[in-house]
Amino acid sequence: MFKPMILSATLLATSATFAFAEGHAAMLQSPPGEPFVQVSDVLPLPAFIPGLGTLFVSPDTLPAGPFLAYDHDGMLSATVYMTPLDELKNGVSYDDLAVGTHEVIAVDVYYNAGHPGVDVPHAHIVLYHDAEAKARLAK
Amino acid sequence: MIIARRRALTMGGSVFAALAAPAILRAAPLQVVKMQGSARGERVWFNPLGVAIPADSTVRFVNHDPGNGHTATAYHPDNFDRVRRIPQAAAPWDSDFLLPDESFEVTFTVPGVYDYYCIPHEMAAMVGRIVVGTPLDTGWEGPSTDTTDVSPEVLATLPTVEEIHARGRIEQKDGA
Repeated sequence: MFKPMILSATLLATSATFAFAEGHAAMLQSPPGEPFVQVSDVLPLPAFIPGLGTLFVSPDTLPAGPFLAYDHDGMLSATVYMTPLDELKNGVSYDDLAVGTHEVIAVDVYYNAGHPGVDVPHAHIVLYHDAEAKARLAK
Repeated sequence: MIIARRRALTMGGSVFAALAAPAILRAAPLQVVKMQGSARGERVWFNPLGVAIPADSTVRFVNHDPGNGHTATAYHPDNFDRVRRIPQAAAPWDSDFLLPDESFEVTFTVPGVYDYYCIPHEMAAMVGRIVVGTPLDTGWEGPSTDTTDVSPEVLATLPTVEEIHARGRIEQKDGA
């Protein structure tokens, strides 16, 4: 009886891992597909935001994200989170957020006064996925 | 009366606007108010923050912020039920969102004080004040005295009419 339970758990884990990896592979190149939408298609923001690139997000995950940030060639370069400061102050936490891909070489955290979509002061947390990512997203 | 129009910054648009405007407006001075932001969006602002203009002048709001969308929106009940901070005889305006390099023009004919804000950045005190004419002009209406509809930060950011008249333009180079 114990063995079948272990087997089932192993199969479930294998299946979940496979689906997760498959999902990440699809995210590496723009567009990432459903449920993600291009931010500039639904909000009055430029298609390529200097410093952040071309952003995609699943609306269900707003405001925190993850936002998938692509360079001009459509390569996934960063994963971005946006966390309103007042919400953090009031005890809201954003836990177990997904990442675009597991390789992260640097993280920038900085203040943003607001923009369409997240129009309150918030923090940008930017996970860069390769050494040249920041330069490619700069402009 | 306020005449407003939105357009992208193109040569054709400028020529068309000049030809379409009546002679009195072509002769009136044009003031440009830039919508600006720091590289990472830590600060956002209108530049100039305050400006004095004669009646019948046109102000062109231009988004110079490459990473953000902005609006120039008059404080008025017609705009999201805000308390009026423009002369009663003036019509309100709302540029809607302007993407980088887009612009919106408003022509001011009623003397008085006009306060406006950027919809997504009012919490960051991205506001501005335009003073049309002087208190000696017929129909002049001074600044709003309301303190209930805007934050203390917004009130602290708006320059006084006297400051604006004294300097003509109150520039903000970096939002400070």
